Amino acid sequence: MMGPTINSKRVLVVARRVVRQLKRDRRTIGLITFAPVFLMILFGYALSGEMSGINLGVVDLGGQDALRVHLQAVDDFDLLHLGSESDAERLIVEGRLHGAVVIRGEVVRVLLDGSSPQITASVMTEVKNGLLPRKGLQNGEGRGAGGELGAVKGGWLGGDGSVGRVSGPGSLGSDGDVGTSSGPGEYSDVMAVPEIVQRYVRGYDLEMMDSVGPAVLGLVVFFFTFITAAISFLRERTQGSLEKFMVSPLSRPEMVAGYLLGFSLFALLQSATTLLVVVLAFGVPMEGNPLTAFGVIILLGAGGLVLGVFLSNFAKTEFQVVQFIPIVILPQVVLSGVWWPIESIPAFLQPISYALPLTYSSDALRAVMLRGAGVSEILVPDLLFLVGFFVIAFGAATLMLKREVG
Amino acid sequence: MKGEVVPAADPSLDYSIVAQGLMKSFGKLKVLNDLSVRIPRGTTYCLLGPNGSGKTTFIRAVAGLLRLDGGDLSVLGEPVHSVNRIYPRIGYMTQHKALYPDLTLRENMEFYAGLYGIDGRERDERISELLEMVDLADHIDRITGALSGGMYQRLSLACTLIHDPDLLLLDEPTVGVDPILREAFWRFFDGLVERRVTILITTHLMDEAERCKTVGYMRAGRMLAEGSPEELKRLAGLRPILRLWVKDPQASASSLEARGFEVEVVGGVLHVRIEDHGRLKEILERIEPSDLRLVEPSLADAFLRLSEEGLR
Ligand SMILES: Nc1ncnc2c1ncn2[C@@H]1O[C@H](COP(=O)(O)OP(=O)(O)O)[C@@H](O)[C@H]1O
Ligand SMILES: [Mg+2]
Repeated sequence: MMGPTINSKRVLVVARRVVRQLKRDRRTIGLITFAPVFLMILFGYALSGEMSGINLGVVDLGGQDALRVHLQAVDDFDLLHLGSESDAERLIVEGRLHGAVVIRGEVVRVLLDGSSPQITASVMTEVKNGLLPRKGLQNGEGRGAGGELGAVKGGWLGGDGSVGRVSGPGSLGSDGDVGTSSGPGEYSDVMAVPEIVQRYVRGYDLEMMDSVGPAVLGLVVFFFTFITAAISFLRERTQGSLEKFMVSPLSRPEMVAGYLLGFSLFALLQSATTLLVVVLAFGVPMEGNPLTAFGVIILLGAGGLVLGVFLSNFAKTEFQVVQFIPIVILPQVVLSGVWWPIESIPAFLQPISYALPLTYSSDALRAVMLRGAGVSEILVPDLLFLVGFFVIAFGAATLMLKREVG
Repeated sequence: MKGEVVPAADPSLDYSIVAQGLMKSFGKLKVLNDLSVRIPRGTTYCLLGPNGSGKTTFIRAVAGLLRLDGGDLSVLGEPVHSVNRIYPRIGYMTQHKALYPDLTLRENMEFYAGLYGIDGRERDERISELLEMVDLADHIDRITGALSGGMYQRLSLACTLIHDPDLLLLDEPTVGVDPILREAFWRFFDGLVERRVTILITTHLMDEAERCKTVGYMRAGRMLAEGSPEELKRLAGLRPILRLWVKDPQASASSLEARGFEVEVVGGVLHVRIEDHGRLKEILERIEPSDLRLVEPSLADAFLRLSEEGLR
């Protein structure tokens, strides 16, 4: 049987061939380098607007039914039910929530992004209203509180440096955690019970591109490596070159590794251009080490590549490869938390979310780019999952080559 | 063939390929049906047979690319399940176009050289030597996809020979190659065989089959007949035919038939089957042809006859 040994010379021979082929294929090079840029720019413009309404997290640990009902009745609030306060904090940091209300019996904690006084005012007003005796509830007093939000911030292109800026009142920890101004503020005066604790979480201006950008970065790279690898490998099979070089000292792992290496050159190029566009053109923050972000993207791209090699076994034509897009790519677009938090996805779909590589790359990239996380902070579960995904897909790709033989 | 003398000690030692009772089905279709072949080392063996008779499937089995349903197969003394150990000694030219159309001739050859660990000067020398042999040296930097059919086949052969294999598996290698160059191929093959290289070749061309030491005729996954081209003709019961141009074919035919000859009139020409060359004189004494020709049976006739029998 084919031993597990990998002859690096033969891997290089394969890689060199892949590079030579791609080098001659101008269109594919163009696609690899410019299509992601183009896509990012498209996303950038499409998403440059502010979010409408106020995205408010609710961590409901029991009690205060009236408040809950009241918050639901406010039109401008898009509520997202969360399991824990730390989830809420994370989403605020990532700019995906404006704030959150944590209800725990007698204590109501309000977490706020703090970058917009209007939102702060609106959330606090409604929380206060919700805790008051029922009277003002139906008269729409609180409606429209966030109405003018669209005008709050601008300047998404050519970044004004506002990104990552700590804003809002309170003393803010440099580790991105919190500034707390709790205790009896003006609001708690109104009601003796329950107590309202207000807390500012260091968040961003709520430009959609800031939180979506890092995730889309992964999506774009995954998509293009997957599709180019799947089609090239399919060609190997249909044109018979696979059959020919299988009858040579080249082992299957060497073959896949060679492909990986040859493509990685172009994947690097692609990741670099996409990353640059996201950060430079759209001012998406890069709080952490760019190399860490780059590493995450490369790891994800490698996974997409071997997945493409693996799945090409199930396609007979290029057209059939294209049919994988709705199966492989779309679920990741929808379920991996690129656009909206996974917490807002129906519970029965969430297990799927947690099986998708893009979920972890998005999480890792947001952590690095928005929160300045280092390698150790994204190791578990993000990097572990991505490495595991790559290893499994690599194994499946090589095994499948073996099985392919009639 | 079964009756042949087999060296006593280790039979596989002197056979490049020993196949016994190979079985392979794709769904309901039996593509190899109890196929047994032995191919001695240092010979040219030609597999002939109509399309779909299983020639390519057999070659793929030998190359270890097929999971057999049954039977024993060894290649260069190695059981087929571990045939990858001797891949460095096998050259496989597939039936379809397996080279990279977007690479140049040189790049294609460098790729295959690299897979066999041939590099540096040795590689460059080998490449130019082989391209010279297939008459493509002037095209070395052309894009492979732009070659004509015949040129492509020649390049494909050159790539297959890059590592100087001991066993060549050539699946219809001369499709589209012009007769003069084909002649050159065969001279080259003869040279290889002298160096004890074994060549297993499939072809549709009878004249090529005639150049092989042994021809195996396959049909529906079975070996219908096997032997040297001459043996096969005899096996098919074919005899030379004497064609006679005469004034009155019908009358001459009856007179010859009366003496026990097998006669046919084809387009006003008498065709007399010659069982025994001694009786030629007897024929010529009886009739006076204006012209005559003795036609030896071709391998094609033999296969036509054999497949008719195979069908019955
Ligand atoms: N992988 C396969 N799957 C299904 N049928 C196959 C496969 N390979 C070959 N066949 C069938 O087996 C038969 C023999 O094919 P092949 O060995 O290529 O014939 P030949 O080379 O003699 O023309 C054909 O009918 C072909 O369609
Ligand atoms: Mg064939």
